[in-house]
Amino acid sequence: MAESLRHSKRAIGSRQVSWWSQQRTFTWKELCETLRDRRTTVTLFVMPVLLYPLLGLMFRFIAVGNAAQLAPEYRIAVETEQEAAWLSSVIQAGEQILQSRPLRSGLSSGTTPLEPKVQFLVPNDAAEFDLEQSVAEGNADLGVRVSFSERQISDGFPGADVSVLQAESSPQSNSVATHLRERLAAANLLTAVNTIRQSGKSFSMPIEEALQWIKPLNQTSAILGLLPLVLLLMTVTGGVYPAIDLTAGERERDTLETLMALPVSRARLLMAKFIAVLTVTMLTGLMNILAMSATVYALQMESTLFGESGLSISLIFKLLSVLLVFSTFYSAILLLVTSSARSFKEAQALLIPLMLTTIAPGLVIMMPGWRLEGWLTIIPVVNILLMARELLEETLNTFPATIAIASTLLYASAALSLAARLFGTDAVLTGSRSGLRDLLRRPRDVSEVPSTAVGFSTLAILFPMHFLASGFLTRVSGTDFSLRLIVSAVLTVSLFAGVPVLFLKWLRIPLKSGARLSHIPVRIWPGIVLIGLSAWPWIYEMIIGLQSIGFQSLNASQMQQVQELLKAWREVPVALVVFGLGVLPGVCEELFFRGFLLSSLRREMNTAAAVIVSAVCFGLFHVVLAGGAAPERLIPSTVMGLLLGSVTCRCRSVVPAMVLHGIHNSTLLLIATFNQQLANLAVGEQHQSHLPASWLAISAVILGIGFAWTAVATRTQTESRMLIPESQR
Amino acid sequence: MSGDSPSVESVIRLHELTRKFRTERGDVVAVDRLSLVTRAGEVYGLLGPNGAGKTTTLRMLLGLLAPTHGEVDILGTRVSEDLQKIRQQVGLVSASAGLYQWLSPLETLRYFATGYGLSKQQTAERIEELVSRMGLSGFLHRRTATLSTGQKQRVNLARALVHDPPVVLLDEPTRGLDVVGSQVVFDFVAELRQTGKAVIVCTHQLDEAQRLCDRFGLLHHGRLRYEGTMVELQQQTGLSSLVEMFLQILGRAARQTVGV
Repeated sequence: MAESLRHSKRAIGSRQVSWWSQQRTFTWKELCETLRDRRTTVTLFVMPVLLYPLLGLMFRFIAVGNAAQLAPEYRIAVETEQEAAWLSSVIQAGEQILQSRPLRSGLSSGTTPLEPKVQFLVPNDAAEFDLEQSVAEGNADLGVRVSFSERQISDGFPGADVSVLQAESSPQSNSVATHLRERLAAANLLTAVNTIRQSGKSFSMPIEEALQWIKPLNQTSAILGLLPLVLLLMTVTGGVYPAIDLTAGERERDTLETLMALPVSRARLLMAKFIAVLTVTMLTGLMNILAMSATVYALQMESTLFGESGLSISLIFKLLSVLLVFSTFYSAILLLVTSSARSFKEAQALLIPLMLTTIAPGLVIMMPGWRLEGWLTIIPVVNILLMARELLEETLNTFPATIAIASTLLYASAALSLAARLFGTDAVLTGSRSGLRDLLRRPRDVSEVPSTAVGFSTLAILFPMHFLASGFLTRVSGTDFSLRLIVSAVLTVSLFAGVPVLFLKWLRIPLKSGARLSHIPVRIWPGIVLIGLSAWPWIYEMIIGLQSIGFQSLNASQMQQVQELLKAWREVPVALVVFGLGVLPGVCEELFFRGFLLSSLRREMNTAAAVIVSAVCFGLFHVVLAGGAAPERLIPSTVMGLLLGSVTCRCRSVVPAMVLHGIHNSTLLLIATFNQQLANLAVGEQHQSHLPASWLAISAVILGIGFAWTAVATRTQTESRMLIPESQR
Repeated sequence: MSGDSPSVESVIRLHELTRKFRTERGDVVAVDRLSLVTRAGEVYGLLGPNGAGKTTTLRMLLGLLAPTHGEVDILGTRVSEDLQKIRQQVGLVSASAGLYQWLSPLETLRYFATGYGLSKQQTAERIEELVSRMGLSGFLHRRTATLSTGQKQRVNLARALVHDPPVVLLDEPTRGLDVVGSQVVFDFVAELRQTGKAVIVCTHQLDEAQRLCDRFGLLHHGRLRYEGTMVELQQQTGLSSLVEMFLQILGRAARQTVGV
């Protein structure tokens, strides 16, 4: 080397570039790596282009063949060829008369009923043929004996006396007889009308009928029901290779060590890989939809497969929306599984059971009768498949869809967090025998705070449990209010206190540090109490404001139930209500959201981001009510969460937030109990009025004093970035 | 600590560093109470046969592996205290350093420069300097999958220096290289010494180590058997070459194994 390299005692760089710029570069590299790989290109472009036309042609071939085979066959036995010829002519003539009935609205193509094929059975030797015997033995569906008469149907076409031999209790024989009688009657009718008209008299049919086809509700094309499963499976195949390549592939290519040596957290590196896998998965889904659309259009099968409206832009948009939610979840799961693999082969072996567990429930769920409701809304994959089907059928309800989407996204967050723990760990790096099992293993060493992965995992477990618990609570709604209060208290404590405490115990994390239960100076309390007493008018006004612009969740029947509930709780001692519905939920929710969850988020995020994420999760949990959803509570609850999170970080303890939350809840309950005008505060009547301006002004002043007092009292405890031992990152 | 001189600043300090692995047959001690010091402008050769614990030691230096016991200190900061700060100060040329086959050397260097927190301007300046010094201009825009082994190693060396770290760790840097490629590495290490970087080179190529390094640590079964400059080792062992010293260590260990 001709010249010396520049010498410096400290490295250059070190946070000269913004977080977003860095993350963009990480993501760009992952996308380049995967999209430039020819194997990705084949899965992305070539497979859909080849597969759908082949499938379309096969479907068309089978469908047409089946249509031909599915036409009913009628066997009519006669005694002579002459009778067969006469009957055939009369049936055709009658058919023409019947087909000439006017239709009010026509069917779309391909939906007219299938015409039966009539086969006449004529014996070789009439002398030895027994018509009755033939019908009795089932060799023919119907027997017909024709005796020609001198009556005329038309010039040169004689009438006849027709004897019909029909097998008793035979639906097939009955169908054939009905078919024949309709056509004979039509022929007779036409003859009668023509005769009347020929006599010079004017004549018109006294009764006219017209046929109108009505599409039944809840009946969709069978293909439309299977479409979500087909698309999801095709989409999944697109994400498998990039997920393996970007994780296990790093180790196989010997790039993992230098990647892990970067001064960047594993979570950020994995987030870039997640975005790359998600992008490829969505592109695969989009290519599949485009290839399918082109195939269906080219083969003129859109109405056969998708009904009268065909494959519309709105349908494509719905499919893409469902694909986005599913791809987010599945990409995270793929990365979780492949992050524990030490090679391509191992990753493929781990993914096979995963894909089987996706296909199996998918096939079952696609059968009729399954609806997105109850516990099915929280089962991963199943909830998305049902949601997709109901979305296509236009029978989807908002509440179960919200639960399905929220739970799926939470599962995805948990999976990603766990994947970040696994990716590049010493076990994977050095090839020692461990991996996914390590996630379930109790750690040997004591930690100070839970990891972000644990936080998200707990959230993913708690959300469906909270949903189920709310549903359980509706079952006790008809009982004594005291009992309901006790059940509600037990559920609250079990979920929001019991679950995080169990996790802390398992992870060997002291409760005090893991849930931020630190002692705070007495001087802080007045500020906290003032905030707790004065925040409620603003939260109330937010709810009223949202309801006034249409965010009203409760219908008349639910409002009635709430009224009865309010009446019932006034029968119970106030202290019990305040404790059970105010203090206890306040304390327990804070233990989880601001104690456990916020602490875990702070390990990977800065203070502001952690407070926002915990607040949004808090808001989401408050949307779920017993027996329904209250979307108007999302924003006010999130705002409340931001307040509580800020107080927690400022005071460096969750205890003030517990007290604040308890005071806030209790204030609302007391107002509801003692002030009829504000009795519907928590649920919002349609004509609920705003609070007087003076109330808002006074609360604003008290709130301001409370904030100022807390800020001054905690000045010596300014929240700085929590020093997490690096060994615990 | 051995070799510690208060007049010269210590850049890397290992104190009683230990790493155990759990296996089906019980615990295996890969690194056993290793203590050493490396200074600025010094090339320290951590030598030993395969399985001696060299790579494990480097991984603990970078925080890729957590030590079972002991401590690592780089430029006054403990690895257990601020891992990201440590990694910011260290460049690694790994024995198993692969490259991203679908990226070009330019894209690779940009990626790692951003990873180390360099701004766009710093990245451009630094890459220009490295391309010139390491001779990368002839293949800068080609996919790395199309490069020869020697060219890939140049890119790896450049990548390790993209953020101009004061500490450089090299693990088997000449593996798979021919004479010309190895000479590139030797020149590279000489430059690092001249620019005052603290360098640790792990290798089992003892003859190369003698050319490259100022001081040596002879590692066997995770334990530091001998340490010092070449002259000091010769005085300690009474032997003249590193090969003979290792053979003596291995012979003694074999006799201990059979109980002689």
